[in-house]
This record gives sequence, C-alpha cells and structure tokens, in this order.
Amino acid sequence: MGKAFDPALIIEFIPMLVKYLGVTLEILCFSILFGTILGIIVALPKLFHVPIARQIVTVYISFIRGTPILIQLFLVYYGLPAFLSIWDIDITRMDALYFVIITYSLSHGAIFAEIFRSAIQAIDVGQTEAAYSVGMKPIQSFFRIVFPQAIRIAFPNMANSVIGSLKDTSLAFTIGVMDMMGRGETLIASTAHALEVYISLSIVYYVIVLLFEKVFSVSEKYLNRYHSQGISSI
Amino acid sequence: MIDIVGLKKSFGHNEVLKGINIHVEKGEIISILGPSGSGKTTLLRCLNYLESPDEGEIIIDDVSINARKVNKKEVYQLRKKSAMVFQGYNLFQHKTALQNVMEGLVVVQKKSVSEAKEKALKVLQKVGLENKIDAYPSQLSGGQQQRVGIARALALNPEVILFDEPTSALDPELVGEVLAVIAKIAREGKTMIIVTHEMNFAREISNRIIFMDGGVVVEEGIPQQIFTEQKEERTKQFLKRMTPELDYSI
Repeated sequence: MGKAFDPALIIEFIPMLVKYLGVTLEILCFSILFGTILGIIVALPKLFHVPIARQIVTVYISFIRGTPILIQLFLVYYGLPAFLSIWDIDITRMDALYFVIITYSLSHGAIFAEIFRSAIQAIDVGQTEAAYSVGMKPIQSFFRIVFPQAIRIAFPNMANSVIGSLKDTSLAFTIGVMDMMGRGETLIASTAHALEVYISLSIVYYVIVLLFEKVFSVSEKYLNRYHSQGISSI
Repeated sequence: MIDIVGLKKSFGHNEVLKGINIHVEKGEIISILGPSGSGKTTLLRCLNYLESPDEGEIIIDDVSINARKVNKKEVYQLRKKSAMVFQGYNLFQHKTALQNVMEGLVVVQKKSVSEAKEKALKVLQKVGLENKIDAYPSQLSGGQQQRVGIARALALNPEVILFDEPTSALDPELVGEVLAVIAKIAREGKTMIIVTHEMNFAREISNRIIFMDGGVVVEEGIPQQIFTEQKEERTKQFLKRMTPELDYSI
C-alpha cells in the first residue's frame, strides 16, 4: 500500500497534474469536434430513411452503445494497425494520443447522432409546414427554423455527454498516453503515495467538471430564452 | 383568379378529395363548411402544397400546376402566391412576434431588414399587437399567437390567404378577437379562403359559401342561400346540427 498518508502531498501534487490538463482537454476538444461532424453525418441516414446506410449506422450506434469505451479503445489501438496493414500502411509508430482521439470521436459520433436525431424529430412538423407556407425551401426551413430549435433540445444531453467523456479521457493512460491520469500513475510509481495522487486527481477533475457545468448552465439559460418557464400554453 | 380543377387526393385507400372544382374571383371571401372528414382542410393544404394532390390542376394568378407533372420550382412559386394561417398557429417558437412576421419577408422575398421591419410593424399594428412585438410565442395567449399568425401571412402580401380553422384551438373568450381581425382584413378586399366551424361568422363575412361533404363540393352559393334555402339534403342536415334552433316550449 505504500507509505503513510500525507495530506500535504495532495496540494503538492495538484500543480504537477494540472500541467497535463492540456493533453486531457486536447483529447476532449478534438473528439468532440470530430464526433459532432461524424454525429451529423451518421444522423442523416436515419432522419431521411436512406436504405442500407440506415442499417449500417444502426449497427454502428448499437455497437458503440453496447460496449465499454475501454474495450473500444483497445480495439482501435490494436485493431486499426492490423486492419491498415492489409494495405501495407504502417501506423504502429503513430502517437498513442491519435488512437485515443479516434476512439473517442467514434464513440461521440454514435452518441451525438442519436442526440441530434431525437432532437430534430422532437420539433413539431408544424414548424416546417409554417416555413414552407411562407415560401421557404427545405434547406432554409431546416437551418433557420428546425435546427436552432433542435439545439435547445439537444444541448443538455450533449453537455452531459461531454462531462461524461471528460472523465472517460482518464482511460487514455491505459495505452500509454501521458495525460493527467497518466502523470498520476507515474507519480504513484515514483512516490508510492497512491491515495494522495488519486485524491489530487479527483479534486482536479471535479473542479473542471464544476466549471463545465457552470458554463453549460449559463448557455442553457440563453438557449431557453424563448421558452416559457413552467407549463407551456399549448 | 384561383381555379381548382378536378382535384383528387387519397391517403392510402381513403379518397379524401374526389374531384374538386372551385373558382374564386379576386377579392372574394369564401368560407368552406362541412362535417369533419369532409376534406376541407386537405383541400386548403393542397392549395399551399403542404399536401400534394394526386390529380387535378391548381391555378393561382399566373402560376398553374398540374398535379401529375409538378416540379419543385412550380411548388415554390405556388406557395408564394398563398399564405396559410394554421389551426395550431405554428409560430416559429424561437423567434419573437416581430421576427416571425419578418422571417418570410427577409428570407423569401429578399427584402432588406429595415424594409421588412417597417412592413412587419405596420401589419402587427393592424392586428393590434404593436405592444407585443418582442414577445416570444410562449409568452402570448392563443388569441395573440393567432393574430401574429395572421400578421405573418398578411405581411407576405399573397394573392390569397388560407385560413385553416383559425379559431378551433382557441378558448371561447379568445375567438372574438381573432375573428375581428379576420373581418378587418376582409374589408380591405384581400382574397381569402376560410375553413371554419363558426357558422355565424361565415355567414356574415363571406361572399360565397362552399359546403363540402365526403370529398366533394355538395353545394355552393351566397350565404343567404346556403343558410336559408339550401337545395341539398346533406347541407340542410349539417346546418341543422351546427345551428340548433332553441326549443322554448315547456
């Protein structure tokens, strides 16, 4: 179990861990960016009932939702180089960070796709009809009327999922990425003060999550500006 | 100005419109009456192409559409000739009253924002909502929302305004304010087709009444004729149900 518990180390470790916050946020930002793009693409076949493509994305979403992210990470880390070696493409020397970003993007893509789809389908068809009746084309109607309203519905789910995946980035160290968690593991190895490191880590993650939540709640208030409090009149 | 020729529409095996022929002159105010399921709302929605008819022709002003060989461009052109006032208002929920009215002017008619705003303010004043221009739909009563809906349609200055049961979703005490606004517009000579269950209103406001049942036009004529000397038995029965004579005998 290592050495005697020393609370002073908790404070001491925090700045050492925070130095690696950049890597954690890098994983998060890129995977959200690519995940959003992927999510939009993946949501389309379901929204427009495209045959075949719809079945493919259904399987993809179902698989991502049904398997642990840690296993997805290993599948990409070991599977992708093996898969690409079929065409003599060697990525075994690629930085482990990229495998993490790929995995988390794939995971976000599936989850965001479902969030986008359900948000868009939640918008009353009357909104589209009204847009058509004033002479708008489908594209105009989608981007000016449906999409802005769908964001309001999708946002709380997206926010939850971002916070969830911020915490999930702590799995990246398992394939050797030096993020906050990875740095924590090396600290444990060198100091043998495991509990103090984990307490420091939990403080850092918790503070970041609190910051995120604050930002999200302010954004949510803005998105809800046109929505009456309490029970709607219709 | 408006010609509907042999319009047919089915939902699956259910033929809702069985060949409708209607001619409307510019400035006419037409009320369509009929029991529910008679196809009157479907007919109105076909005129705006929110429902695509299977067969027949729709001509509004200089746009003519044949349901059998219609293309997207024609549909957009047809929609620009009419504007719809919906039963459920269908205001853009994320936009204020003013933005709701401006939206079509800016996006579809490509008016400048200042021009659109000026026009929208004028129309909102006409429907008596100059104090509510910055309110979102969720902050307005049903009657106020429907008046915004009317303003949105009116601002586009279409050839014809289509009213789809504009007061059916309203609380009884709010019906009056909406009907008053419709009557006001009617007096200005706008062509209007109104699907309604408000018998007295239809009788007072319309130049002509069309009675539909089972997907066909059963009878049409001036209000006086339809309400007092109807020729068809179905019209007679419907009106009897809708305007019951009170029996005071003890």
